[in-house]
Amino acid sequence: MERKDNNQAKAPQGEAARILTEFLEVAITCIIFLKGVYPHGAFERRRYMNVVVHRARHPQLRDYIHSSVNGLLPFIQKGLVERVVVIFFDNEDFPIERFVFKVNLNLSYGSKVEQSDLEFSLRSFLIKLPVSESLTKLLPRGCRWEITAYFRALPEASTSKDSELIWIPTDTKQWQQPPLITPIKSMNSEPLGVQLYLEHPSLSEPKP
Amino acid sequence: MSLNSSSRSATSNSNSKRSVTSNSNSNPSTSGNNSCRNNDKRNRKRKTDQNQKTLGMAWGANSRSSSRSAFRNSPFPDFGSYMVMKNQKLHQQFDADASSSSVSGACSGKPIFDGVSIFVDGYTVPSSQVMPNSEELKGYMLKYGGRFENYFSRHHVTHIICSNLPDSKIKNLRSFSGGLPVVKPTWVLESVAANKLLSWIPYQLDQLASETKKQPKLSAFGFKSGPVLDDLEESISGQAVPQSGIATLRTSCSLEANIFGKAECTEEVEECHSVSDDPFHPNAAESADQAPTYCMENHCEVELDAAVVVQSDAGYHSHISPCQDPKSDHNDCLEDHIIEESSSSKTIRPSTTGHSTLSDANFVENYFKFSRLHFIGTWRNRYRKRFLSSANGFKDMNPSRNAFATSQKTTIIHVDMDCFFVSVVIRKHSDLKDKPVAVCHSDNSRGTAEISSANYPARNHGVKAGMFIRDAKALCPQLVILPYNFDAYEEVADQFYDILHKHCNKVQAVSCDEAFIDVTDLRVEDPELFARAIRTEIHETTGCTASAGIAGSMLMARVATRIAKPDGLCYIPSEKVDDYLHELPVKALPGIGHVLEEKLKKKQINTCGQLRLISKESLQKDFGVKTGDMLWNFSRGIDNRLVGVFQESKSIGADVNWGVRFNDLNDMKDFLLKLCKEVSLRLQGCGLKGRTITLKIKKRRSDAGEPVKYMGCGDCENLSRSVTLPMATDDVDVFQRITAQLFGYFHIDARDIRGAGLQASKLESADRNMRGHEKYSIRSWLVSSPARKSSMAKGKGDQLYSDIGPPVQARGSFSGGEAYVAHRATLPALHDLDVGVIESLPPEVLSEINDLYAGELISFISKKKEKNAGNNVMDEEQSLSNPLVPPNKDFVHNVAEKIKSSEKEDEQYINKMIQGLPETSGSVTALLPETDSLMPSSLSQVDSSVLQQLPEELLADVLESLPAHRRPDFMSNDVYLDHIRDQTGAIDFLPSNNLWVGNPPRWVDNFRLSSCQLLNRIAVLYNKSSPRGQFSSVLQLIMSEYPLDDGGDDAVNCLCELMKQYIKLKIETDVEEIYTCSCLLRRLTSRSELFLQVYNCIIPHLQAAVGETYGGDLNICFIE
Repeated sequence: MERKDNNQAKAPQGEAARILTEFLEVAITCIIFLKGVYPHGAFERRRYMNVVVHRARHPQLRDYIHSSVNGLLPFIQKGLVERVVVIFFDNEDFPIERFVFKVNLNLSYGSKVEQSDLEFSLRSFLIKLPVSESLTKLLPRGCRWEITAYFRALPEASTSKDSELIWIPTDTKQWQQPPLITPIKSMNSEPLGVQLYLEHPSLSEPKP
Repeated sequence: MSLNSSSRSATSNSNSKRSVTSNSNSNPSTSGNNSCRNNDKRNRKRKTDQNQKTLGMAWGANSRSSSRSAFRNSPFPDFGSYMVMKNQKLHQQFDADASSSSVSGACSGKPIFDGVSIFVDGYTVPSSQVMPNSEELKGYMLKYGGRFENYFSRHHVTHIICSNLPDSKIKNLRSFSGGLPVVKPTWVLESVAANKLLSWIPYQLDQLASETKKQPKLSAFGFKSGPVLDDLEESISGQAVPQSGIATLRTSCSLEANIFGKAECTEEVEECHSVSDDPFHPNAAESADQAPTYCMENHCEVELDAAVVVQSDAGYHSHISPCQDPKSDHNDCLEDHIIEESSSSKTIRPSTTGHSTLSDANFVENYFKFSRLHFIGTWRNRYRKRFLSSANGFKDMNPSRNAFATSQKTTIIHVDMDCFFVSVVIRKHSDLKDKPVAVCHSDNSRGTAEISSANYPARNHGVKAGMFIRDAKALCPQLVILPYNFDAYEEVADQFYDILHKHCNKVQAVSCDEAFIDVTDLRVEDPELFARAIRTEIHETTGCTASAGIAGSMLMARVATRIAKPDGLCYIPSEKVDDYLHELPVKALPGIGHVLEEKLKKKQINTCGQLRLISKESLQKDFGVKTGDMLWNFSRGIDNRLVGVFQESKSIGADVNWGVRFNDLNDMKDFLLKLCKEVSLRLQGCGLKGRTITLKIKKRRSDAGEPVKYMGCGDCENLSRSVTLPMATDDVDVFQRITAQLFGYFHIDARDIRGAGLQASKLESADRNMRGHEKYSIRSWLVSSPARKSSMAKGKGDQLYSDIGPPVQARGSFSGGEAYVAHRATLPALHDLDVGVIESLPPEVLSEINDLYAGELISFISKKKEKNAGNNVMDEEQSLSNPLVPPNKDFVHNVAEKIKSSEKEDEQYINKMIQGLPETSGSVTALLPETDSLMPSSLSQVDSSVLQQLPEELLADVLESLPAHRRPDFMSNDVYLDHIRDQTGAIDFLPSNNLWVGNPPRWVDNFRLSSCQLLNRIAVLYNKSSPRGQFSSVLQLIMSEYPLDDGGDDAVNCLCELMKQYIKLKIETDVEEIYTCSCLLRRLTSRSELFLQVYNCIIPHLQAAVGETYGGDLNICFIE
């Protein structure tokens, strides 16, 4: 497994996926910080890609983000992951706001990935995120959040034990109407394209 | 049956009326009214009359907005389609009636109303015996070949007939009439009585005609009479206009003003009337007998223009699209006119803000079109072009003349036309010869226009140039004011110089009406006789008189002319010079203006005699060396100037100091841009480039009020700043950048600006700069084609040039050579040639070039070699900057030969291009998008074999860069048809073609070649935008543009298509960009009608696309 991963990491997609997961971990932490789910004291300032970011101090929080994103890495490498979404729910488990990372990894890309180029592009997300607070909704008290990944297709269970890691939530409440989309940042370079946008319930969405 | 009764109730009763008509039952209440004609006909007519609606209603029909509920159950999907059907049917009925009446032949008359289509509106006095009702009118139209419209449509109707209008309609004439003439029914009756189509102008509705006289807008006169007028003109020319030419002209003027006053709100017109409120056509009729026709012409024009204004004001832009399909010829023409004029009409719209004439986007252009000073100023260039060859003829003789000068007594004749600007205008009006006449740009009631020239009878009354009309009229009430006639001026000036050049080859033009000729070399026996002959010929040819002065120097000749005027001849022999000068006021000497005169007056010097008493040294001390010298010489009649070469202009520029009012800096910037364009055009017209750019601003003094002269500059502070560039330029963008910079230095409130001028000086010939003109070189053309092609071509190019010389040099030389071929310039000077390149040329080429230089080349090279032994570096530099290949067709051939031998097949197209070059030089340069003017008029001019050899992609580029309107020319050419088929789609904005392909994307070229200014602008902005390729950055730039002029439907369609394709392109990968674009577009909607339409068209598409890709709607209303 280790060897295989190494092989994959050497491929341009593997490299891009690694950078992406790293980035997602930071970006998701930033979103959590931005939304003020936890007191600001729960985060510490760090520098990532030469930008000031926030990192969770609490090991549980840090681990949750780290493990869930890193759990996605093999699937991202295979190009299976379509969206990685940070969903905020109110106290009735009704989604209020969704931060969507739409990922597009070009698997047929052959040449070497310039890490610095990719990082440069991804950095713009981290710059844009803090200033996008005005686009987001104020969270009510007692809300909770989770990271959900949407796959293009379910991985075949037999191919690897990776699929055992997949949990599919079944009792989530969904919006009845198509949501309103507010783009925050888009980036499109080879072999990786990432778009971050917000989803809010449509105005005609029936209130729970 | 009263039309009124049905039309009045239209809006309120529309439902019931519709039910009546859709059941096609006759209405019993109105049937009793009929007394004559057959029943069947009556029924039809009644029906149409019942359906007669007010205009508001008729338009409502098109808008579909009126209650749809009534039509839920009808066979028609909506009211709009119902109306379409109905109109069709009514037309058929009318046609049937017309044909039956003509077949029966009993009463069908001459088709005098051919092309006329009337619509009866409002109250037509049915009870009156004098006034016909709409029924009768319809009968007349049937009988005399006209058309009768039951529903108003701007595209079908040519005249609106009514005898009375409610006040609301008068006030809102533009939306009511759509700009069409509103005429009393008597017009139809009297036309029938006269058995010809009378001019509708006298029959204009009283309410409109009685409106106070207003000044018309400049834009009303800014276009030539088009085909629309032909039929009207025809009908009018037969008709007697019972006044003298001039009187007619003047009435027409006032009538026009009326039309305008009506069309525009009171305040507006006064504010908007522009530079030259000249109510006359610039190409005025040349003769008195044409005058009536001509003034009618004007009427129509004004009316049409008013129509356009009205339409645009009413927001009916969409109707002005060229894709209309007007039914009658007349309308067709009208349509043409509207399109033609739409640009100026658009510009009038912002004037509703009550702003100055600057709201006219063509202000600068029009300003100069109607400016006399501008005519005089630019006349020089015209003269230069026309007579330069003959002027060159005597340039060479000058040295010899100098040798003779001392021994031989010179004889110089100064010829000056008598009050040129007046006499040219009245030369064909013999009745005006002895009457006081003045020329002025406008004859408005306020009388605040300045007289620019007055004839001698007027001068006897004390009328002078520069006077306000009202003052002049106070002095001379019978004064006739006429407008300029620039075409006539040009014609007469040309004739004048033709005569002078015929008699003598030493002519120095001073102005369009004034020249010196040196007849010394002609050894004329009697200069007086000679001058008399010239004067007679001038009089016979031009119909205007000229005065002549003969003397031994230019100064004295001028003084003599002064004495001779008007229409006289004066000879001052050298012995009499002193007598003449003694009493001559100093002011009369050339070179002495107000300032100098004042200074001299302070010293008690009023005449030349007094001036002569002062020593040269003292004069030089007081006035400076040069001026003092001049004064001393002139006062003694000494003038060493020679009748010499035509003086080259030292600077070229444009000044506007009338009608300049700005609201804010954006207006000013916009205005400056136009000024830059004007100056750039003038420079290009003279083939010159300027190195120093000077911006002059007239700033209102803080204590100065509104100037007396309407829209004048008043009391101003003159500010000026200039900058000298390292490279001479005639480029608009450079001018724009620099003027913006210069303007920034002034720190001035835009509202205080009363005038602005832009000058380019330190002029250089554009030819000399040709080496810098990459746009004329084939290389830049290759580079401008998509990257892979260019790199291929360039790579090859480097290879093949390498055996001629160092690559850079060679390429430079090649482009230079091409440029020379294209411009048919002369050989470069020997010292401009690069020896290194010349040497490496093959011997046969070298010998050929040597022949061209008459054998001097070889010796030159050997000389150069010696000299260059030490300073190779210098030479290298020189070679880089100088074109060094003579414009020899053979040479080009040889280069081609060379290429052939070095590389075989891949080179072929370049090779072919070059071979084709001599024949198609114009067309090759024309492939550059920038050089539109050089485009071949059709592909047939292009060497077909060249194109056949071109690779597919290159050919595509070539074809695409041909202007759109020329494309059909070669559509017939079967050879290219297949290639072209691939291309034309993109040109027509077919959805199937991708506008975003290529770099720059295809749409940029399409937009650039578009006739719509806005699209052109967007194409330009694309090139300025960064990051390139993102439409949001283009939109961002559009945001900073002001004002946003609207385009027609086509522009909307183009933009919509562009946006749609852009969304398609970006939706998957860059929703942020799409979002930014839509936000920007949304912001633009508040500024421009056009973008509102685009926005409305795009949003549903956008939401659908987002929904498809992201499963949601774009949150557009989130950010305002």
